[in-house]
Order: sequence, then C-alpha cells, then structure tokens
Amino acid sequence: MSVVHRVRLPVGATPMVEVGHRVEPAEVLATRRAPRGGISVAVAAPLRRSPADAAKCLLALPGATLDAGSILAQDDRGRQVRVGEACILLGYDLDDGSAMIAPLSGSEPVLGHVRGEVVSLESNAIELRIAGALVTGVGGSGNAVHGELRVAVHEPGDELRASAIDVGATGRIIVGGSRASAETLTRARAMGVAGIVLGGILDKELRDFEATQLRRREIGGVRGDFAVILLEGFGKVGFDPGLFAWFRTHEGRMASLFGETARLYVYDAGPPPARRALPRPGDRVIAHRRPHAGQGGELVRVIDRPYAFASGVVGRAALVRFEDGHTAVVPVANLEATEPLSGD
Amino acid sequence: MTTTLVRADMALLLDVGSAWAKAGVIGRVRGRWRLVAHAAQPTAWGATALRRSLVDQLTASVDPRLVHQLDDLIADANRIECHTARRPARLAVVAVSRELSGSAARRAAEAAGWQVVETVTVDDGRTLADRLSMLQAAEVDAWLIAGGFDGSRSPRALEAAALVAAARRVEGGAVIWAGSASLAAEVDRLFEPGALSVIGNPRPDARHEEPAALRAHLAGLLRDAVTPEDETHLSSVAFPRAIGALAGATGLRILGVDLGARSATRALAEPDGTFSSRVHARGGLAGTVLASGAAARVARLAGDAGEEAAVADLLQTLRARPSTLPQTPEELSATQTAARVQLAGMLEEGVVGSLDLLVGAGRTIAAAPRPAQAARMLLDGIRPVGVTQLAVDAAALLGPLGSLPDDEIGEGLALLGEDLLVPLGTAVVCRGGVPGRLAMRVTVHRSGWPSRSPIEVRSGQLQAVTLPRGQVAEITIELLGGVSLGAPRRSPRIEVNATGGAVGLMLDARGVPVGLPKRSDDRRTVLAGWRDSMARESPAGSERVA
Repeated sequence: MSVVHRVRLPVGATPMVEVGHRVEPAEVLATRRAPRGGISVAVAAPLRRSPADAAKCLLALPGATLDAGSILAQDDRGRQVRVGEACILLGYDLDDGSAMIAPLSGSEPVLGHVRGEVVSLESNAIELRIAGALVTGVGGSGNAVHGELRVAVHEPGDELRASAIDVGATGRIIVGGSRASAETLTRARAMGVAGIVLGGILDKELRDFEATQLRRREIGGVRGDFAVILLEGFGKVGFDPGLFAWFRTHEGRMASLFGETARLYVYDAGPPPARRALPRPGDRVIAHRRPHAGQGGELVRVIDRPYAFASGVVGRAALVRFEDGHTAVVPVANLEATEPLSGD
Repeated sequence: MTTTLVRADMALLLDVGSAWAKAGVIGRVRGRWRLVAHAAQPTAWGATALRRSLVDQLTASVDPRLVHQLDDLIADANRIECHTARRPARLAVVAVSRELSGSAARRAAEAAGWQVVETVTVDDGRTLADRLSMLQAAEVDAWLIAGGFDGSRSPRALEAAALVAAARRVEGGAVIWAGSASLAAEVDRLFEPGALSVIGNPRPDARHEEPAALRAHLAGLLRDAVTPEDETHLSSVAFPRAIGALAGATGLRILGVDLGARSATRALAEPDGTFSSRVHARGGLAGTVLASGAAARVARLAGDAGEEAAVADLLQTLRARPSTLPQTPEELSATQTAARVQLAGMLEEGVVGSLDLLVGAGRTIAAAPRPAQAARMLLDGIRPVGVTQLAVDAAALLGPLGSLPDDEIGEGLALLGEDLLVPLGTAVVCRGGVPGRLAMRVTVHRSGWPSRSPIEVRSGQLQAVTLPRGQVAEITIELLGGVSLGAPRRSPRIEVNATGGAVGLMLDARGVPVGLPKRSDDRRTVLAGWRDSMARESPAGSERVA
C-alpha cells in the first residue's frame, strides 16, 4: 500500500532532491533563506542627497530580493549604496532617507518529515510516495514529528494516564485511548514523547495545553517538537476497536505524525480498517456524537420508518448492539461502517 | 394516466450541500404542481440512497401501476440543481492596523465568501521575520492589502504591500489594493502588470467604514477566478436569486438567511425584486468554533446545553462531522444556539429598515424538530424589529429554483405556491423600554372569533398567540413606555394584519440585543420561560407567556 504526501515549499525555497530520490523523515528536501528581523540601511546620507532625491536613486522596488553586495541605490555621479548581505527590501522612509531591509538567514532546511520516494517536483511543492498507510483524524495540534508507535493503553476506551508515560515512551508516538488530560500531555512532552494518538480529547484540555506550550515557547522553555492527533472526536471518545487492534498489530512501526493537519503515516503498514458512510445491517459500526460517541458495535437493523430521537430530531435510525452489550437506536447519519481487518 | 404523462409531469429539485443533500420531487396532482416527496441525507450517502428515499415515500401515494417504475421516473425526471462551491476560496489579508484596516478588510472578505487563511497586520505583535515567513508559507488564491487613510501617504501601508510583494510568487494569485488611494500607483509597481486591482478604501478615514465596493469586487473575483463553474448553480448565488424573485412577485421586503454546514448566505430583497447578498465563508455551523469565546457564549445563551467544556466539544464536532445529527436534547439546544450566534454574526451591521418576511433556510433552521425552535433561531439571531412574517424553506426548494434562468424563477415559485415555504407566523419585535414595565398592548381581531381583551407584553417578555396557518388577524399594537418598532411613527397605536403559521403570533419585547440576567440561575429560568412560551401547545386563541 502507498499514499502520496505533499510538502509545500515556501517562496524562495531551493529543492535539494530530484524525482525518484528516496528520502528519510529527517532528510532535507529543500533549503530556504528565511527572513530575519528588519534593519535600516542609510541611503540618502551616502548619496549626499535629500531623502526625497535619494528615493529616485533606488534601483530596487519594495518586495525585491537582493543578493549580498547588490546595489540598492546609485546616483548619476557613481555613488552607490550596496547591501552587505542577501535581503528583502521592504520599504524606504522618506523622512530619514533610509531603506528597511529584512536580511535573509543562512540556508535553512525544509524537511519532509516522512520516508518515501519523490514523485513530483514543482516550484511550490514536492510530492512523496510513502510505502505505508495514512490515518486521518478529526483534529490535532502541533508540528510534524516521527517515531515508533507504542500502544500505551489496554482497551480502546481507556483513558491515557500520566502514569503510563515513562522513559520508554521517549521519542515515540504513543497510542492512547479515549482521552488524555492536559497534565498527561504536559508530562508526555516533558518526557520527550514525540506525539500522541488519541480517540478523543476534551477540546478545553487541548486548548489549555496549547496555551501552556505557547507561553513556555515565548519564554524559551520548550524544546523539541510534539504533536497530538484525534481520530474519532472531541470529548471522551474511545477508539474504534478495529482501528485499535490495527494499531496493536503495528506497534513498533515507524510513523510520521502531522498534528495541525491531523494526518498520521504508518510505514510498511497494511491499510487501516476502512470507513464507509451509510452502513447496512450486519456491518460493524462506530458511532459519532453523544451519547454513543466512539462506541463500536454491530448494526442489527435499520428502522423502516423515520424515527424521532430524544432531541426531537427525526431521521433514519438503526438499532445497534454495542460491544459493551447494550443496544440503542442511533441516527444512521451518526454511524460509519468499519471494515474488519483481514483475519478477523 | 399513462406513464408518459407522469414522466413529463415530474421534476427533481436538488440542493447538494457540503454536508447534506436535499431533494424534492414535484409532480402534477389533480392539475396542480405539488411537492410530492422530500428527502434529506448526508451528501456522502450518494445519489442512489437519496433516490431510494424518495421512492419509498412515493410508493405509498402514487398510482400502484407506477410503483415499479418510480426509480426510473425519478432518475429520468428533469433535474433542477444547485450545490455549494467545490472548495473554499482562500485569501491572505495584509493590513496596517488590526483594529481598523485589518478588521474591515477581513470582514469584507468573509462577507464576500472568501476564507481568510492568514491575516497579518503591521501592529500584530509578531516580528517582521515571522510575518514574512507566515506569508511565504501561505497557500492562497488571492491577496488583499489594506491600510492608510485616503489622502495620506502611510509608509506602513507601503510596508504591508512590500510584504505581499516579497511573499507572493509571480502570477501567484490576484492582488487587491484596498488602501490609501494616493499610494495605488506606487503599490502597482511592486507587482507584474495586470496583477493588481485597485479598489475603494474600506477605511477612508478613522471614523468611516465603506466596505461595499471591496465586498462587491471580492465577490466578483470569487465568481470569475476561483469558481468558474456555472455560477447560477452555486447555492450562494441561486438562493439570493430566488429570494429576489420572491420579493418581486409578492411585493414584500424579504431577508433570506441560509445557514449551511460551512458557510452562510444572506440575501436582502426589495419589493421591486432587486437584491443584495453576502456569503459568509465561516458563517456556517462549523464556523462557530472559530469565534473566540464561542463555547462560553453558546453555553450562556442556551441555558440547557450543559457546561462550557461540553459545548466546546460539541462545536468541534459540528466542525469535524457536520453531517451528523444531535441525538440528545442538550446537543440540539447547543446546535440551535450556535445557529443563533452565527445568524447574529451575519447581521452584525444590521438590516436597515423593517422587513416584511424573514425566510430561514439550511437544515438546522428549516428542519428544526419544532417550528417554535426555528422561530426562536430567527428571532434571536436576526432580531427583526417591527412586524415581520417568518417562514422556513423546509424542503430546500429556494436554492434549486434560484438556479433556473431569470425568466423561469418566478414561474417556478408561483407553480409551487403554498408548498414553497412553511409559514411560522408573524413576529412583533420591539426595542427599548424598561425591564418589567409594560411594553406593548396588543389586541387581536379575527373575523368569526369573539373579541378578547388586549394582551399585555412587558419588556423582557416573549409571548406566543396561536394563529393557525392560513388565518389572518387584524392586530392593534399600542406601544408603551418608550418602546418602538423601529421606524418612527406619529401614533402610538399601530394596526396591521398578521398572518398565521405553525407558531402563530409572536410578541417579542425582549429588546435588541436580547438582555439576559447575569446570575446563571436567573438566566436559566428566563431562557426556559422563553423556550416554553414558544413551545407549549395551547388551545387556539390563547397566549403563552414568559
């Protein structure tokens, strides 16, 4: 199985790979020279002109990128103002006759954070084919990270506790359960965990954690990357048991996790249990939304006539026997069929 | 009736949204065109399941000889279809001031249907390097630059333009300059020929905001450059066209609001049929979560939706899984309150003048389990001051009809007649007044009914009087204690006709905006009272008070 991952290149990036090139997660795909803070360069004074006159001598327009040593301004007597380092010209101040430039840093790497083969190369993106499976989530947070998968809960509905995070989790992507508190996330980050895969999390706890991290970043107290992905929903939502079993079979595999875009690549993995809208009787299903969010079961039958739920909403309904033994009527719109793993 | 005739006399109206697909079958019944079946389902279920739903409904009512042909008849029927845009159009806003030029530009862009993926302002507290890096990484279809008051030469506005020039690839999307007019020529030189459009400054000075020209240009750009598909079939275009045609046909001033899963559309149409519309890219239910403090606001306004943390999870669920349904009363309450919040956001600038008819569309409003809930969303979200009829587009017919050629929309609306909209009744919304004091005294006269004593409505109260669909009552409204119905009037007594509907006559003296007690227990009590006053079933002619 393979999937394609697209790496967007920022403006001005120079690709360092070619089509057919095989890359590792930490490999440099391209380099870029990122702008640094703006500085002022005197223009009018070296040209011995008034600010207004000196403005007419500028050879570059705002927004232009200049190489080191390029002429920024020149007058008819041969006087020149050059930039000492590569920069972006951002403006010219008519009051004091200076130019605002943003010097460009030394070469910075653009990483793909995935292992794969380059299949296309464009000015704004590189596409990589990954031998493995893609699991997409409904939300997430954090940067791109990679590491080995490690399952840290026993059951798909278990909450990931802070006590489950130990030194063995360092550098790994932890597969948790139905929820992780802000305290657990904070401990995971402190222990050097690369990322966490959860069925659900309380939105408030994720936001609280993000706010804490932001404050710590501002004061320079956070190093390294960390990402979280939610696969099922917000709130205390367990994994689909089939998907949890799939993670168990892939424990120890390398994976790349993109928190912001809620994508998880698991290398050399077979396809995860597929999801299908509009389940049929006999299908194994996963329920979304309360009161059954994250619960798996079997769709026993679809009710013939429109059904009025406790909310008063009328819709197509199905009788579902959940894996904890209870049965309930659930809107079909809130169910997805999950394909069983081969061998189930 | 032969099969051929039936085939000729059936049409399928489809509204395919990003989350839900709605279909209505219209057919000729005893010489009249009627809506004979209607179904709605998650779009992901596909066309076959939708057709199956329609067939199941029709099986019970059609000529038995046609039962086995229904699937083919529907598949072959004329299709009148509208749909939401395939993907949102993305825009980066670069401006001088977060509070002035930046917010004006952002609002105009969102009201024109653009999704603003990046906003950078010179005063946003970021470093210059961060700003440039963010913009260089942005993947957008167009760039909007704003800043500097007209007549001034703001170096910071030029800096904003330079940021875009540095971050944008050549031919990397249209650039719009909506800043100081005197800088337009300088800004134009920063981009390749033809890349820049110069539009009137939405903040020409510190006191005025004039976003109309920018909004119109952005709406045109959205249609021409980003969604070149046949625009009349876009729901955001078709719905306003139908509202315009409806206004022209009825001579009413109509506001239509279509609250979708991702975006929302509002259309204001004048009695002559002219209309203006706005598409709010993040105005749909999924956009609620993006507003700062939305969960707290929804929890506060709902009263019975649970704690803020639970509401926050629900709002995220609406974003992540927009085609799911609220199964519990708490989830429904939070969803409907989110709808009220989004409607209020759409109408931030208000509607000038009173309305004759307010039409709600979109699943959350038009398919609310109880008509009173739909009425509450419209009343609380829009606050239509004055005397206004309320209705919902329950079968989602307006969008498909609005996608017809200009000369056929009116005909389509007329053919469907009373099947087109579900009337909720008439709302009398006043503003002003002192809490607890008498705000309105309303006398309802109905021919054939005994005279009743006037209904007294106090400031802060919401009352509903049963007035069934199809009935008209003459009402006399006496305004008291400094309250008004919007427009200045010579007489404190106003006589108008009120048409009935599923809710009836709604007398709303809760003010604009609706005032709520600060103490949570008091607030919950008041909210429950309003809910009950609208929802209680009551004998005809009686009023429900809260």
